[in-house]
Amino acid sequence: MYAQAFFVAVFGLAAIGFGVVVFRTSSMVRSALALLFSQTAVGCMFLAMQTEFLGVLQIMMMATEMSIMAIFMVMFMMDPGGMGGMDMTHQKRFSIGAGVVAAGVAIVVAFWADWGPVTAEAPDAAMQTRALGMELLGRSMLIFETAGITILTAMIAATAVAIPVQTTANSADKEDTE
Amino acid sequence: MNFVIVLLALLGSVWLLAVVEGWTTTGRLRPAAPLLSGLAHLGRESIVPRTPDRVFFETAPVLLLIVAVLGAAVLPLAPTLVIADLATGALFINAALAYVLVALIMAGWGPNGAYAMIGGWRFLGQLIAYAMLIVMPITAVAMRAESLVTTVIVGSQDGLWNIVYQPLGFVLFFIAAMALAFRAPFDLPTAPGELGGGVDAEYTGVRLGVLRLARLTLVITLASATTVFYLGGWHGPLLPPWAWSLIKTLAVAVSMLLAGRYLPRIREADLMRWCWTLGIPLALLNIIVVGLLVLVVP
Repeated sequence: MYAQAFFVAVFGLAAIGFGVVVFRTSSMVRSALALLFSQTAVGCMFLAMQTEFLGVLQIMMMATEMSIMAIFMVMFMMDPGGMGGMDMTHQKRFSIGAGVVAAGVAIVVAFWADWGPVTAEAPDAAMQTRALGMELLGRSMLIFETAGITILTAMIAATAVAIPVQTTANSADKEDTE
Repeated sequence: MNFVIVLLALLGSVWLLAVVEGWTTTGRLRPAAPLLSGLAHLGRESIVPRTPDRVFFETAPVLLLIVAVLGAAVLPLAPTLVIADLATGALFINAALAYVLVALIMAGWGPNGAYAMIGGWRFLGQLIAYAMLIVMPITAVAMRAESLVTTVIVGSQDGLWNIVYQPLGFVLFFIAAMALAFRAPFDLPTAPGELGGGVDAEYTGVRLGVLRLARLTLVITLASATTVFYLGGWHGPLLPPWAWSLIKTLAVAVSMLLAGRYLPRIREADLMRWCWTLGIPLALLNIIVVGLLVLVVP
């Protein structure tokens, strides 16, 4: 029990620490990977709270997602390495205010919400995986399928928009060799 | 105790693989060569490039080694010889190996060198090619075993190995595993002769030693995963279970090595095109076929 609380706290602090690094660094790749490790720490919190599947899934998904975000940040920012001395932040007052308000709301909700009875003992990991599968392919199936199709449609639409109109087989080959 | 045994088995396999690699490249069988070259790395100057991202530069080789060992932690050598028999083992190995990408991006970005950076980002592009072909064949394997536990997956292949039950999945996984371990012909991130070593280019001395060890460990981990998922793991006559696991793992690792020696390096665009337009439909087909087999054959 105490060990569990200890590890949840350690990973929680790690998540916050890496979260701070995201905004303290000017290097876009560092920022993206700090966010990655912040999310990994959240995944470790899941593991410490005995939700093995969710923890492993979180740790797996974030590695690829944040890496892809890193290359997009390098592509679109003017000073991706942070070595040009550019200030990469803006709207500081507004964001500090918004951050403080959001943190306050989260803390109030955490303490005042009725979370229901606490489970005395978590079911074992294999049972959890099974229950999650049943949930995903039962009651929640429609929601997840809708979300999945929506994301797929958005991806196809974004790709279609990005392709130049005059693309022919020849010009596509030319692009490859460049 | 299991931890020590599995780690020693991993180290031994890495040593054997390094000896075989030396044998195939130089034509001479020198069992002490990996050890000597490791010691030589320790003795050499380990240069840090100008204005590096020091954190990434130092972390990358170690992170690569850690994820390779973490991946091996859920793979059983024998029914009880596994470091962590997790309920989500087949997913966990994916999670661990996802950080190979992170380590390579770090190794690419950290040294502040053009070739390294191209190598690192190139591996990110390669992710689009291999990632689905790692995950989808494993899905079909888990479908047959009706479990994500690696020991149960091996148990499900008692009568018939998965290489026979789902050969298509095996071929796709084998190719994707080679791409994930960035072995030739998929060694795009390092690409000697084209990128001058790529992510390896700026590493020297002890850091290069760790990087090389990590790469070989990664190959062994992926070979072990192939063994567990497709080659019936510890199943086999006469010899004890752990011996079969090791023999199969080494055989897969050496076959990866040989495939790399006799095939030319594939072009990046071709790799992605083939994996997307051919690989993913085949992986889906594999899932459908296995699904039907699971439902129809008792």
